[in-house]
Amino acid sequence: MTDAGAPTWRLPPRWVLLVAVLSIVAAEVGGGAMARFKVELTRWARDGMLARPGVHGLVGVRDVDERILDEALVKFDAGLRLFHMHAEGMGLVIIATSMVAATVIQRAVARRAIIALLTVGGAGYPVGYLAWSALIPAYGLERSKAIAEWLVWVPFGTATIVALWGLVGCVAWTMLARRRA
Amino acid sequence: MSSRTIVAPALLAALVTLSAPAQAHHVGSYVPRDNAVTTNFKQVKFSVQAQKFDVALKLFDEGPLRTEMRAHAAALPADLEEGTRAALAAGDGREVERRLMVFFAALSRDLALEADRQLARPGAAADAQIATGRKFLEAIWRYYNLVDFAVATRDNKASVAVRLAFDEADGYVKPGAGGAAPANPENLRKPLQRIAQVLSSLIESSAPPSSSTPPRRNS
Repeated sequence: MTDAGAPTWRLPPRWVLLVAVLSIVAAEVGGGAMARFKVELTRWARDGMLARPGVHGLVGVRDVDERILDEALVKFDAGLRLFHMHAEGMGLVIIATSMVAATVIQRAVARRAIIALLTVGGAGYPVGYLAWSALIPAYGLERSKAIAEWLVWVPFGTATIVALWGLVGCVAWTMLARRRA
Repeated sequence: MSSRTIVAPALLAALVTLSAPAQAHHVGSYVPRDNAVTTNFKQVKFSVQAQKFDVALKLFDEGPLRTEMRAHAAALPADLEEGTRAALAAGDGREVERRLMVFFAALSRDLALEADRQLARPGAAADAQIATGRKFLEAIWRYYNLVDFAVATRDNKASVAVRLAFDEADGYVKPGAGGAAPANPENLRKPLQRIAQVLSSLIESSAPPSSSTPPRRNS
């Protein structure tokens, strides 16, 4: 059953679609590279950690250090996996939510602002996982997480959440406006 | 479309986001895994419990447990490795258990001695030393926990003494509530020394009467 008064779905601007598709492409390339260069990546991370024993709290006893290295390598791998999953998912989220915004929001300024926030936030957030992984060998687990948190996750994640709540408000407003009419 | 419609929820969302703890971002969790030695120990132990001594012997002969016993031979009672192998070949499960208990007690004792030695180093920051102590305690427990039941069935007092010393040491390395100052690393040395002392006594009392124990490595 179709609603005669329902608006036609509108596409978001092309640059938004390009960013979303690029995010998905980056996710797939990242996933493929993770599998293809697993040994090389692990070796690179392990060498980086062994070169900075003080950063990782290595004590020079194999029975103690192997657990520290294992945890860091598991987290290093987890960061790459989370980048793969988030970049893939956020690409689709950008397409879906920006389409809703393009269709529902009538005011040009609000529509542009929300689409821009959704796109920038959605595409930037997954990069935090990649940055976290890349920084682990040099800065250790906690410091690298704090860097990724404040440089990437918090600003880009906030942009996405703010935009999504704005979109929720706009959709609710449209529903109320239609009911009044 | 009113700008209030966008601004109000946006502000709310921003407040919720910025007030959330930094740990809110999902970064996965880590569950410590067995290393090659503890994995091989469990394989041998379960094979012995199932009375599959031929399987246990094969796993021991080809596994890292035996390699590790050889590597630590200087710090272990004489013939521990050969005796373990002989007990497996003879199908003597209790003797296998006793010898493996001695091996892991020796590994735990050596870690406790090394931890004590590192904590005695002057000049290191207290929080760094506490972190080092915590890592050593985790490693000690990972090995000792494997044989605690075997220790308790043979020498209950030793088992209780190690557990009490471990609990005391663990209390010193736990993060203080409300950002309290780290404990004095010097406090940590006493329970570590007690762990080493109790385990040394256990190893000596568990050694076969005929065997002569070589001088032990002190680190």
